[in-house]
Amino acid sequence: MFQQLIALGVVIFFIARLFWQRKKDEISRTEFFFWQAFFLLAGLAVVFMKKIDELVAGLGFSATGINVLFYVAVVLLFYVVFRLRLRQEKMERNITKIVREIALKGKE
Amino acid sequence: MKVFCVIPAFNEEENIVEVIKTVKPLVDGVVIVDDGSADKTYELARAQGVIALKHLLNRGQGAALETGNQYALKNNADIIVHFDADGQFLAGEIKELTELIESGRADIVFGSRFLGRSSNMPVFKRLLLMPLARAMNRMLFGARLSDPQCGFRALNAKAAGKIKIQSDGMAHCSEIIGKAFQSGLKIKEAPITVVYREFGQNASGGWRIIKDLVYSKFLR
Repeated sequence: MFQQLIALGVVIFFIARLFWQRKKDEISRTEFFFWQAFFLLAGLAVVFMKKIDELVAGLGFSATGINVLFYVAVVLLFYVVFRLRLRQEKMERNITKIVREIALKGKE
Repeated sequence: MKVFCVIPAFNEEENIVEVIKTVKPLVDGVVIVDDGSADKTYELARAQGVIALKHLLNRGQGAALETGNQYALKNNADIIVHFDADGQFLAGEIKELTELIESGRADIVFGSRFLGRSSNMPVFKRLLLMPLARAMNRMLFGARLSDPQCGFRALNAKAAGKIKIQSDGMAHCSEIIGKAFQSGLKIKEAPITVVYREFGQNASGGWRIIKDLVYSKFLR
């Protein structure tokens, strides 16, 4: 129960952060909706943990706490890599803007 | 109507002079965008008396095209033609694309290698990569074009104003098609010929295009 509350707290923090980032226009609408759906699903998974455990057990898997932690870590890594890749893309675009500005300067 | 031909070029010192010589008499202005070449592409283009813009770093064909578009629009181009620097397109076909715009029948005309004219396209590309790209454009943008990845196209100033190319790399072909359909522009296709000297986009290039398109959905 305590662990679930902590996990929910983390999810709520990220959802609140998303709204804050969107309000400050730091992320696109698509990015906002994608990550909102992602964290809402994560929140639902935390709330219905027992149901998921039953489902997983019903499918023949046996997952201990450390396994679940491992899965969560993989998902978080995916999140971090994706964010880094997006940030890199933004930087690439900014570099292009600068290169273009220099190319056009004095040619108009 | 003032027609500008924008030619992005990367390490094309072997072909650029010949391409300029064939295109220059047919348009009002030729804009070569040297995309950070390591060879003498830029110097050779300048010596031909055309507008030569230089990217200090290699940013990709899409980025070079957008630079050329912006230059052409600032210099009051009515029609912008996109043309490759590797000599695979036929300059004589430029008029066939621009005519459709001049007559008011189209805002943007895409060249197509699949409308009757013979192109020696590699079999793997014709039978596998092109149908896949066609299906993807249809799925992502609802775009029904016979040629999903042709770099030979003409667009009027209105279309160029609406289509800001954001994909620096090769995903720009799909991006332009997508934005043309989403902007409600009048779209036409015209048959063109391509004389292949290299394979061009391969399967890994196609994968890169898909990746770029996905990431661009998350960026403004």
